[in-house]
Amino acid sequence: MSSIWHALQATPLFWLAVTLLVFEGADRLSKRSNRHPLCHPVLTATPMLIGILLATRTPYPVYTQNTAMLGFLLGPATVGLAVPLWRNRALVRRAAGPLLLALFAGSLTAILSVTGIVWAFGGSAQILATVAPRSVTTPVAMALASQLGGIPALAAVVVLIAGVFGAMVASPLLNLMRIEDYRVRGFAAGVAAHGIGMARAFQVSELGGTFAGVGMALNAAMTALLLTLWALL
Amino acid sequence: MIAAIATLLLCQLLGEGIHLLSGLPLPGPVIGMFLLLGWLLLRPGERPGLVQVSAWLTAHLSVMFVPAAVGLIEEGPVLATNGVAIIVATLASTLLTMAVTALVFRWALARTERGA
Repeated sequence: MSSIWHALQATPLFWLAVTLLVFEGADRLSKRSNRHPLCHPVLTATPMLIGILLATRTPYPVYTQNTAMLGFLLGPATVGLAVPLWRNRALVRRAAGPLLLALFAGSLTAILSVTGIVWAFGGSAQILATVAPRSVTTPVAMALASQLGGIPALAAVVVLIAGVFGAMVASPLLNLMRIEDYRVRGFAAGVAAHGIGMARAFQVSELGGTFAGVGMALNAAMTALLLTLWALL
Repeated sequence: MIAAIATLLLCQLLGEGIHLLSGLPLPGPVIGMFLLLGWLLLRPGERPGLVQVSAWLTAHLSVMFVPAAVGLIEEGPVLATNGVAIIVATLASTLLTMAVTALVFRWALARTERGA
């Protein structure tokens, strides 16, 4: 019995099956909550999987090695962000000037505010590099964090927290600010809260969701460019 | 379908190549995204396969970064010393970013659309 366990538990087959099963359960929970941001499947699946690793005394390197296939897909998924930009090129072109100005202001605010606050708390260069890409979609944030000398796993969680919080506060904040244009509301949600903000924007309006998607994709590019410039300076 | 997957991988591969050659910290997949956008804009036409594959990938991004998020298991000490700062900074920065983006976009739209 224990030899069968040992033969199976160090395989991609085992850990991929476990990860997908746990995620599917987490996703059903999220669906049942009517996609409440606090029930985001990653937020519930991650502690469950950490619990399973601890209970089975599996070292993290064994787990990550055997689930590498999932992480591999983040690369092509990032490249694919070009497709919604291309499909919505007419919308983007019509508002190009204001959109790019807002993108630049938003991206710069995201980077400066998050690193500024962490710096004020006395965070190390490694932590600054981890949080700097906090407002971009996870695959890009992880890649940027690792390029800049940060911790990709922590970057993934920081991005997740930003997304969940952003999706929760988007409607109340934008109402308070009396922003009525769905292009503006969606774009701000996408720039500040990436894919989770986009999902929330789509629940409210199709136009808002589309602009959120555009904001997310453009901000991935803008933040990558700004942080690259910063790293070179 | 296969052509679409090959296109994505090829763009990423070229992006990684440029990343390594140039030594820029810009990640390979982000360079690949620019390459794909340029290619799509230069060669007009419908791309149902590419639309389908990239929509599927984007819809399932969450499950792809679960293994990375589980990596927190090894970051206990970092979280113990920096956890509060990171959370405060993340929440405040998200609010600020959303507000600034919305204000600048609304202001600039009003200016250009009034002028038009």
